[in-house]
Amino acid sequence: MLVELLRGLKTTFKMMLDKPVTIQYPEQKREVRPRYRGKHELKRYDNGLEKCIGCALCAAACPADAIFVEAGENTDEVRFSPGDRYASTYEINLLRCIYCGYCEDACPTGAIELEHEYDINFSSRLDAIADKDKMLVSLANDLSTPQETKPGTFTRSIPDMENPADY
Amino acid sequence: MDYMLLRHRDINNINQIDTFLKEDGFEGFKKALKMETVDVTNEVKAAGLRGRGGAGFPAGVKWSFMDNNNWPHYVVANADESEPGTFKDREIMESNPFQFLEGIAIASYAVGANAAYVYLRGEFWEVAHFLDEKIEEMEKAGFLGENIQGSEYSLKIYTHLGAGAYICGEETALLESMEGKRGQPRVRPPFPPSEGLYNKPTVVNNVETLSSVPYIIKNGAEGYRKFGTEKSPGTKIFSLSGNVNNPGNYELPLGTTFRELIFTHGGGIPDGKSIKAIMPAGASSSLIVANDEALDTAMDYESVPNVGGDLGSASVIVVDDSVSLDWLITKTMDFFHHESCGKCTPCREGSYWMKKLTERIHSGEGTEKDVELLKDVAYQIQGKTLCALGEFSTMAVVTSIERFPEDFKI
Amino acid sequence: MTKDITLTIDGKEVSVPAGTLIPDAAKKIGIDIPVFCYHPKMEPVGMCRQCLVEIGRPAFDRTTGEAVLEEDGSPKINWGWKLETSCTNPVSEGMVVNTKSEKAVKGQNEMLEFQLLSHPLDCPVCDKGGECLLQDLTLAHGGTESRFNFDEKRHAEKKVALSDLIWLDRERCIQCGRCVRFQSEIVGEAVLGFEARGSHTQIMTTSEPGFDSAFSGNTTDICPVGALTTAQFRFGARPWEMEATASVCTECPVGCNTVLNTRRDVKTGGKVVVKRVMPRQNESVNETWICDKGRFTDFSADSRLTAPSIGWTDAIASAAQNLSAADEPIFVVDGSLPNEDLFNIKSLADEVGAKAYCYSEVGGGELTTKSGTYGKSGAGDAILVIGSDLYVDAPIFWLRAKQAVDRGATLIVATEEETRLDNFASTVVRDFAQGLEAAKEAFSKAENTVILYKGDDALAQSCADLNPTSLVGVWNDANTQGAWEMGYEAISDLDVLKGKTVYVAGKSALVASALEVAKFVVAQTAEDVQIAVSITEASGSKCVTLPSRNISESLGTFTSAERRVQLFHPAVPAEGDTLPGFVITAQVAEKMGVTLDIEAEDIFANFFDLSYADLSKTNPEEKLLIGGNCYENTQGVGVQL
Repeated sequence: MLVELLRGLKTTFKMMLDKPVTIQYPEQKREVRPRYRGKHELKRYDNGLEKCIGCALCAAACPADAIFVEAGENTDEVRFSPGDRYASTYEINLLRCIYCGYCEDACPTGAIELEHEYDINFSSRLDAIADKDKMLVSLANDLSTPQETKPGTFTRSIPDMENPADY
Repeated sequence: MDYMLLRHRDINNINQIDTFLKEDGFEGFKKALKMETVDVTNEVKAAGLRGRGGAGFPAGVKWSFMDNNNWPHYVVANADESEPGTFKDREIMESNPFQFLEGIAIASYAVGANAAYVYLRGEFWEVAHFLDEKIEEMEKAGFLGENIQGSEYSLKIYTHLGAGAYICGEETALLESMEGKRGQPRVRPPFPPSEGLYNKPTVVNNVETLSSVPYIIKNGAEGYRKFGTEKSPGTKIFSLSGNVNNPGNYELPLGTTFRELIFTHGGGIPDGKSIKAIMPAGASSSLIVANDEALDTAMDYESVPNVGGDLGSASVIVVDDSVSLDWLITKTMDFFHHESCGKCTPCREGSYWMKKLTERIHSGEGTEKDVELLKDVAYQIQGKTLCALGEFSTMAVVTSIERFPEDFKI
Repeated sequence: MTKDITLTIDGKEVSVPAGTLIPDAAKKIGIDIPVFCYHPKMEPVGMCRQCLVEIGRPAFDRTTGEAVLEEDGSPKINWGWKLETSCTNPVSEGMVVNTKSEKAVKGQNEMLEFQLLSHPLDCPVCDKGGECLLQDLTLAHGGTESRFNFDEKRHAEKKVALSDLIWLDRERCIQCGRCVRFQSEIVGEAVLGFEARGSHTQIMTTSEPGFDSAFSGNTTDICPVGALTTAQFRFGARPWEMEATASVCTECPVGCNTVLNTRRDVKTGGKVVVKRVMPRQNESVNETWICDKGRFTDFSADSRLTAPSIGWTDAIASAAQNLSAADEPIFVVDGSLPNEDLFNIKSLADEVGAKAYCYSEVGGGELTTKSGTYGKSGAGDAILVIGSDLYVDAPIFWLRAKQAVDRGATLIVATEEETRLDNFASTVVRDFAQGLEAAKEAFSKAENTVILYKGDDALAQSCADLNPTSLVGVWNDANTQGAWEMGYEAISDLDVLKGKTVYVAGKSALVASALEVAKFVVAQTAEDVQIAVSITEASGSKCVTLPSRNISESLGTFTSAERRVQLFHPAVPAEGDTLPGFVITAQVAEKMGVTLDIEAEDIFANFFDLSYADLSKTNPEEKLLIGGNCYENTQGVGVQL
């Protein structure tokens, strides 16, 4: 009788001695994989200019119709991105978004990327609309937009466009 | 042989009207004025005179295509001579102008035109002024103006200058340029004998073609056919250039061989080099491998295609073995790219592409694939262009790669 | 009568009138031949070489003229040794065309590769993306990789202002020449041209000021790439993000059919706004074109009153009270109101026995309610344009007159000043009497006669005395003709309003003028009335404002100067608390004891013998075959009275 009992409890005792895999969230946080798709970020170039050129291809690709883009025109006095076009309004409805990453695939400049932040929470539906302020990255050197640039330096929307065949 | 076209080499000062008149000048025109216009055309048809501008189309046949329900008629002499390696028309106009003008007059009479034009390339402004003087002299001598020589026929000849475009040698681009528009070829059909200058029937003939006409009328079709071959009768001025000792214009009967032209008259290849290739039609040529078969080929419109080329305007450029053909096609492509009118996509874009490819290959940065690509692009252009410029721009490229592959080994 | 020709395209037989070009014949049986430079409304030029196909023609014995037959009795077909451009070849009997054979497809793909060589990778920033012919054809015929060396791509100026309205991007231009040919062939003002040659060919403008044409916007529609774009719509929105609503232009009495493209914007605080105006095809009115006035209409009226300052109930009550109390209330409108608004006001006026006036600087309204369309005048017809500079007053009428002359019509222009129509006219006089004389003579020899006039009643009468087939008044407003059809009395000044109680409906200028003279004004307008209110305070007269909806917010109809009734639809939601004009009138009427309809469709059924369904019928023959971003007309071509 006791033997059977002990045999049955073998797994239980083994488990008691095993190291638990439970992570004590939120004190401990597990690293996500590199390609994990969390909250979006709008990237900048090293000189502080935004990569986003307001083309709305992400909005077109989005299967959930979560992205809204309004484009504006750059001038050299008030420049947000290289080239003529930038996103004056960029909003993602984080409740609609299904975090599929199609927007990241569609982006021609690599501006929108899904980063690793996953604890996204808000207390009203309106707060779920992430706009540019919430998504633009800050650079370490504090370079930001809008900037005043020298005329003729940023004429192309994709400044160092390489031969597509090289990719 | 007495010169038929380059008569100034036999007779001094034949570009002066007194000398010209003394040498039976305008006899052909006077005879034509007494003939029926259709008989004049038939005589030229019977003589088998073929267009000397490069296409080789029978002149008399072209004249007979004129639409007799649409008037007035015009004759335009194509003195645009811009093909690289061609310099025959210039010599005729500078040294034997009256025979040329007489040819225009006979042609105009035959098709019923009362106004004829000479379209000269813009760089020939001195020639144009010279011709203006000659036209005035011709008028004073009673061979232009109203009721010429007591007949009911009136004619005025005018010169018109182009502005530096090779494409205006193409007949419909020439007419567009004369009308004051951009010199770009028209959609054909309709062809100029139906709708030409200002949409009226127009004959466009090369200077040399028209200069051959007085002899035909004066001596008859039989007299003309004494020279040349059966299908390519008459004499032709061969503009010889390139790697030869004696470049220049040579008037010889059609059917003369390349060997005779290059070695007998041209004095052979300088510096003891050997001949490698022949470009019989200027920059628009296919490159012919200069082996014995080619050298012994008769230079006429039928025989040259047998060795993979076209006689064209007979602007024979000789290439010796010191020339690497990958360099040569950079030159032809630079020319065609510069001269492309830009109207049709394959020539406009294709000539740019080929120019870049030839430059890359010649500079050594090209690969095997680039040579293949260059040939591909050339084939891609062929048969799809609006006019022949695009077509001919590919000939040198394709034939160089195919027949001289050793020059393209990377 | 042109004979019909039968030919075979891709194995399918089709019969078309003689003179039809192959791409049009192919479209009829649903075969799309790719084109760039070809446009059905212009002469073909065979420039882009995109429409290459294999063409075979039946062989004929030269001597006998008999068809040569194969062994099985079918006609022997002589195939061209090379591909031909289908756009430059009119159909011929027995022709056989292969558009999808291996050789033809290879040719088309190759041409597209050439077009893409130096074309910049601009799609993300180019306004044309989504409605771009090059994009569409690349998907159909393009390769997946470019064989061209990227660094060797040609570069050119990216942002050239041809005029204040139109931007040119020289890198994107594929030198198809559609814009140049549109200006020289269709408009007759060759203000665009090519410069340089070969691969350096570019578009430039030859006029000073640049691109000096009232139809410049149309080139942005027909440009197959994003080389020509409008400054107004630059970076506005992507075509797939916008809704398209059928509307009618309000800038002049031609009544061009338009499409209003709308989108809900963040910039406007979530309001749906009109982003741009595009043409809608209507072969009887504006074909596939609209003028710049209509295209660049400003829809952003920020300072509108969106509700009566005292609230609707009190405002309606006050209006009704004042009108009922007056001895002789007067109703005055202008031609900016749609038919439904006009009808309700007229009905109310009739019911209370009051006068109903329509203010119009151009006279002769009652004379124009008999004849009709300006039509597709051509050889044998005569047109008199008197007192009006059509280029300014009604640009599309100008274009139609110019095209009529191209087709052989006689044109007489009688205006005090020079006009741009002078160049096309056979007779130009600077005196009206002379003009009428010349017209009389021309009309006696002509089949169809049209008079377009702009002047007072006397001039209108003189024109009517010539008994033209069509008498068309070039009104100042879009729907003045509608007012005449309903029996409004014409006035050209507002003296009759002195000291009266007036119901005014129309533009703010009319309201302001009424306020200056009337005792009490009930003002129904969709425009800004701030000026009006300050005049009220200055002149001491009293006024109640009843803000109505404007055309982009309404469902209604207009009657064009040619007496064509056309339907327009609401494109944006109504601003604030505004009400449709006819509802306002109905509410006032109710308080005065008169019952009127409050649904647009019901009102419409009352005055013409037509319904909205009649106006919504489309003409399948008219469907735009090829070319341009003009919208297909699926919402109706209207009805000619």
